[in-house]
Amino acid sequence: MSTIVLQLFIAGRTPRTDNAIATLRQLVDEHLSGYPCELVIVDVLTDPQQAEDRQILATPTLIKESPSPQRRIIGDLDDADGLLAALNLPPSPPTS
Amino acid sequence: MGHTSNELLTPPSEADTRLQTVANTSADGMLVVDGDGRVCFANPAAESLLSRRMDDLIGQIFGLPIMFGEVAEINLIQPSGNLLSAEMRMSPLIWKESPGYLIVLRDLTERRRIQEALRDAEGFSRAILNSLSQHIAVVDERGIILLVNDAWRKFAAGNGDPNLFATGVGENYFEVCALAAEGDAPHAAAILQGMQRVLRSEVSLFELEYPYDSPNEERWFQVRVVPLHDARRGMVISHTDITEQRRHARAAAESEALRAQLQARERELRALGIISGGSQVRPPIPHHEASLHASRPTLFYEYIERYGQLLNSAVQERGFGVPDKETEARELAIHLGDLRATARDVVEIHLAALRNRSLGVPPARQQAYLEEGRMLALQIMGYLVAYYRDGVVS
Repeated sequence: MSTIVLQLFIAGRTPRTDNAIATLRQLVDEHLSGYPCELVIVDVLTDPQQAEDRQILATPTLIKESPSPQRRIIGDLDDADGLLAALNLPPSPPTS
Repeated sequence: MGHTSNELLTPPSEADTRLQTVANTSADGMLVVDGDGRVCFANPAAESLLSRRMDDLIGQIFGLPIMFGEVAEINLIQPSGNLLSAEMRMSPLIWKESPGYLIVLRDLTERRRIQEALRDAEGFSRAILNSLSQHIAVVDERGIILLVNDAWRKFAAGNGDPNLFATGVGENYFEVCALAAEGDAPHAAAILQGMQRVLRSEVSLFELEYPYDSPNEERWFQVRVVPLHDARRGMVISHTDITEQRRHARAAAESEALRAQLQARERELRALGIISGGSQVRPPIPHHEASLHASRPTLFYEYIERYGQLLNSAVQERGFGVPDKETEARELAIHLGDLRATARDVVEIHLAALRNRSLGVPPARQQAYLEEGRMLALQIMGYLVAYYRDGVVS
C-alpha cells in the first residue's frame, strides 16, 4: 500500500480542533500503524494561500490525498473508527 | 472524479424541484452534495453564507459530511478569508437519482455575538456586585442561592463558613434561616418570613435591622429583600453592616439627653439665683454673653484635658467610687465657678472631652465613657450650682 497522506485543515487552535488533531494522531499511531502514514496539519489562519489553492470551503476539513480515490470529509473528526470508515481506509493488518 | 457534466445536466425530478423550492425560501443555507462531497445544489442562503454564487459553488468539493451527533460546528471560509461560524446538520437523500446528502448550515455569528454580549453583561454585573460592601445573594423561589458577591463570601468566611458549605451557591437560604431561628438568632425567623412575603408579592421590599454580635464586638446589620424583576422568580438579599450608624445614633441620643438634663440644671441654677436675691450667689453670666470657649480658649482646652482625665479615671475605677475623683471634680467645678461658667460651658467641655476620649477606642469603652461622662457632667453641674448658691462646694 502506498503512503497514506492525510491533510487536516483547521482554523486556529480551539478545544474542538485539538480533539480532532488528537483523534487523527490516534488514528495514525494505532489504527494505521501498519502502514506508512503522513499527517499534515494546515491552519488556514496562518496559511490562507493553501486553503485557497485547495479550494477549502469549511474547516475542519480532512483530505485523504492518497491512496486514491481522494476523499474530503468535513464535520466531527473526533471518532477514529468513524473516520476510518469515512475515509475508506482499512485498519492495520495483523502484526503476526 | 465521480462528477461529469452529464450529471449536472440531468433534469431535476419532481421531488428535486420541490426541494429546491423549499430550499430557496429557507433562511438556513442548504447544500446538496453527491457521494464525493461535490456541490450539486446551493440555495441563496448558502450562497450568502459562503459568499459565492451558485454557479461558482456547483461542482466544487465541499466535503462529505461526517457527524456523530445531530449537529456539528464548522467554520465557513469566505473568499475574502473571513470565517463564519456555522452549525451543520445533514441528511442523506437521493438527488437526481443518485445518493447524496442535504447539508443545512445555520449562521452562528449572531448567536455567538449575543452569547458574548450576555457574558460581558454578566461579567459587568458581577464586577458591580463585587465592588459593593453589602453582602449580596440572589436566591430563587425555593431559597436556593444562585449567586453571591465577594463581600458575602468574605463575611461567610469570617463567620464560621470559610468554604461556603452552608451559605454558598447551591445551598438553601430558607433552611439556613430556619436553622438559625432555632438557634441563637431569633431575628432569622423574621427574615425568613419577610423573604416569603416578598415572594408572595405581599410587599415590594422587606427591611429589618437586627443584632448579630461577634465574639469580640457588638454588631448590627440591616437586611433588605427585593424581588427579582426577571423571568425567574426569586429575590435579591443584601445585608449591610450598620454598627457604626447605630453607634453614632446612640451617641447622638445620649448627647441630646445629657444636653436636656444640663439645660434643666441651668434653669435650676438661674432660679436659685433669683430666689436668693443675688447678693450671696455668684450668678453665672447670662446666656447671650460669650462662652468660655470663646472668651478663655486656653483655659477651656485645659479644662477639657482635666475633664478627660477625670473621665478616664471614672471609667477605670468604674463602680468603686474613688474619693480623689470627687475632689478633682469639685476643684474643677470651683475653677469653672470662678470663671462664672454656665451649664453650656460644662456641656461643651463634656462633649469635647468625650469626643477626644472616644476616638479609636472599642465600642464597649465608648459606651463606658458615655455613661460615666453623663454622671460626671451632672456631678460637676451639681457642684457648680452649690458654688453659685453657697459660695463653697462642700
